[in-house]
Amino acid sequence: MAWLVTRDANKTIGSGMASIELLRRTLERRGWLDDREHGVLNAVARFTPGTNVLAYLAALGWTYDGAAGAAIAVLGGSVPGSVVVTILTAAAASVDRWRAVRVGLTVATLVAAGLVLVNAWSLVKPHVRGPRVVWTLASIALAAALYFAGATPVRVLLALAVWGACTPASAAAEADKTS
Amino acid sequence: MSLLLLYALLLKASLTSFSGVGALPQIRQDLVVTYHVMTDDDLSRAVLFGRSSPGPVGLYIVSVGHAVRGVPGAVVGWLALASPAFLAIPMLALLRRSLHLPRVRSALDAVIIASATLLVPSGIVLLRDALAQLLNL
Repeated sequence: MAWLVTRDANKTIGSGMASIELLRRTLERRGWLDDREHGVLNAVARFTPGTNVLAYLAALGWTYDGAAGAAIAVLGGSVPGSVVVTILTAAAASVDRWRAVRVGLTVATLVAAGLVLVNAWSLVKPHVRGPRVVWTLASIALAAALYFAGATPVRVLLALAVWGACTPASAAAEADKTS
Repeated sequence: MSLLLLYALLLKASLTSFSGVGALPQIRQDLVVTYHVMTDDDLSRAVLFGRSSPGPVGLYIVSVGHAVRGVPGAVVGWLALASPAFLAIPMLALLRRSLHLPRVRSALDAVIIASATLLVPSGIVLLRDALAQLLNL
């Protein structure tokens, strides 16, 4: 697990959420994580101050191996990148001076954008295909409306938490979801 | 600037943000405007290095630490970046304890859907950046 976290968390450039998508795919393929658990970890990470990816990794590590797991996951997710950043800063390198580097960074950013959008879909997919389709679409519309009205991400999440708490699923929908 | 003060300032910025570059305004206010220990150019370069390195974008805080106090500063920057992540553990424990309640489950579902919705603009911004870079090649 430590190796997989270290490998996948440091495989992308330009977005930590893209790393989470890579990690989700790896862990789901091995049967160590499902969409539901990924959703819970993602929600917790979103509400944790600081870098979302590291909060996701801390929660994931804690789930599998307690405090040691959380520490190892956060170390694995942040130390390699920190070393690279330190070297770049120490060398005061203009990383975008060379065309090959610029091409590489552009491709990496394109891949990261794709992975972020796929991650969004993987989070919403179980709900779109579940028994509360209309409620899910209403939640998406509400979140989008708040975001475009200028609400900060944390306020959007808090508002949606209140909306969710006020509109719980019926017993029938819960049973359908469980089955 | 002492390492302890640097850690406190970077931790404050990290704790008051909820995304990769969300801490940037606070860092600029403290380190560029108030304490004058780095310049806007240093800060821009730190963000560039953060975006050009593997892992989370928030790693630019490590570069900020290095710009202020060298390698010990980078270590302090990393500590300030990593420490808030552990707040996820009590939040997860609290959430798991109340997941059997329908209202809590519904609230959680709504938060998951909201976080997915919020990812879309981030993905689009990244896509737009990549296309702009492509045009500049």
